Amino acid sequence: MKSLLLILRSVIEQTREAVATLVGTIRYTLESPWNFRAIGEHMFLVGNRSLVFVLLTLGFLGAITSLQAGFQALRIIGDTTIIGQQLLPLLVRQLGPTLVGLMVATRVGTGIAAEIGSMVVTEQVDALRMCNAPPLDYLVKPRFLACLVMLPVLVVFGVMAAFLSAMGVAALVFHTPPRVFANLDFVSLIDVGEGLVKAVAFGAAIPVIAGAAGLAARGGSEGVGEATTRAVVSASLAVIVLDFVIGGLAFLVRT
Amino acid sequence: MSTFVQGLFHRIGAWFLRLAEVVGELALFTGQVGRATLRPRIDRFELWRCLYRVGVRSLPIVAVTAFFAGAITVLQVGSYVVKLRAYEVVGWGFGFSVFREIGPLLIGLMFSGRVGANATAELGTMTVTEQVDALRTLAIDPIDYLVLPRILAQVVMMTLLYSLGCLFALVGGVVTAWSLIGVDPWVFWNSFTEYVLVADFLNGLTKATMFGLLIGVVSCGFGLSVRGGAPGVGRAVNACVVAAAVGIFVLDYFLTYLLG
Repeated sequence: MKSLLLILRSVIEQTREAVATLVGTIRYTLESPWNFRAIGEHMFLVGNRSLVFVLLTLGFLGAITSLQAGFQALRIIGDTTIIGQQLLPLLVRQLGPTLVGLMVATRVGTGIAAEIGSMVVTEQVDALRMCNAPPLDYLVKPRFLACLVMLPVLVVFGVMAAFLSAMGVAALVFHTPPRVFANLDFVSLIDVGEGLVKAVAFGAAIPVIAGAAGLAARGGSEGVGEATTRAVVSASLAVIVLDFVIGGLAFLVRT
Repeated sequence: MSTFVQGLFHRIGAWFLRLAEVVGELALFTGQVGRATLRPRIDRFELWRCLYRVGVRSLPIVAVTAFFAGAITVLQVGSYVVKLRAYEVVGWGFGFSVFREIGPLLIGLMFSGRVGANATAELGTMTVTEQVDALRTLAIDPIDYLVLPRILAQVVMMTLLYSLGCLFALVGGVVTAWSLIGVDPWVFWNSFTEYVLVADFLNGLTKATMFGLLIGVVSCGFGLSVRGGAPGVGRAVNACVVAAAVGIFVLDYFLTYLLG
């Protein structure tokens, strides 16, 4: 019971820290000038450098869901022609954004925390503060804007990869022709909107949480490792919780 | 134009070489670990410490993840169910997707972030501060003393945490179905027990155990091959979670295909 209270307190503390970082970053985004060169570099790191990773994992995700849906469809109704039309809305509104968000949280989130964390323990961040460059403005803001733009882009590519590989598996394993599988009629505007809102929300949450974890790093290489671990856990958890909240709101809108 | 094409091929080649290097290093490491398991000399104290740290410390995060995973699945199943007015299949749709796929996948990804990254950071710090070399000079094999207890603890705890996670996912699913869709908990429970068999649970349990083994080998392998101070530890943790995520998805595909 006592440990449960301790966990609850640390969750509240971390949430407060993340919200404070988010508010600070948004304030700097609105008030101070943008360094477009740094933003472009981080967009390259977040977008281009993660693209292969996202395509690979989401491609396998599409193949897995296609297999599972096909096995269940064969068992229950004996007809696999409907899995394409039923799978696509699910990929667009939930599986695509969530898994891309988790992948970006592991790849980009750990990168941000490791980079900022090593700058903190080598006192480079203190040097920045002395030069009147607040770390939220100079370090977190470009990463925040880059993730905000690139996450929806990665989600679009990821959903495409997942759907294409699902189509391939359905054609090879269940002999469903791709023309029957690629049926877009069941994707509504609310589904697309839900997916994009989730993508933007994850894009805002991941760099802020990872940046806060990096800035809180203390001690040598142990501290950097600890900050990196904390970043990936908190960012993944934030993705899952935001997914539930936005998914619940969209469910209420839909019904 | 030709320089562009050359550059492209150059980069693809470099990428494949790097990939082959990582995969080869991990394969050699797996061979070493396999040979060490044939004559197990596991330090019992270290094993208990690892079991405690891996299991007890990551229980809260797995419980929260599983709870929300159950809730999210019910939301997604619910939008089909409301359209078709088939309220009695919510439990079935929830059960097979969480037990077979979403449970092992999400718990595995969370576990690799919490436990795998932690093991890499810990072993990486020991490597860059030459503590592993110190063990070697004392004639203590780091595979026996450091790696085997960690891998064993991760396999055991991943299996147990998946089983506990299923319970939390069930709670999350029932609560969401009752409060948002208006499905009576008894209706949910009946359709759950009617369609979801032990086979689904065992299917997921096999996946979870294999993921635990994969995360253990990858995290320890990356931890012991760290080079270059504090930034090296950060890079190794990053590489470890990325490799574990790719490995989980690839393994998941083949296990799904084999287990049917």
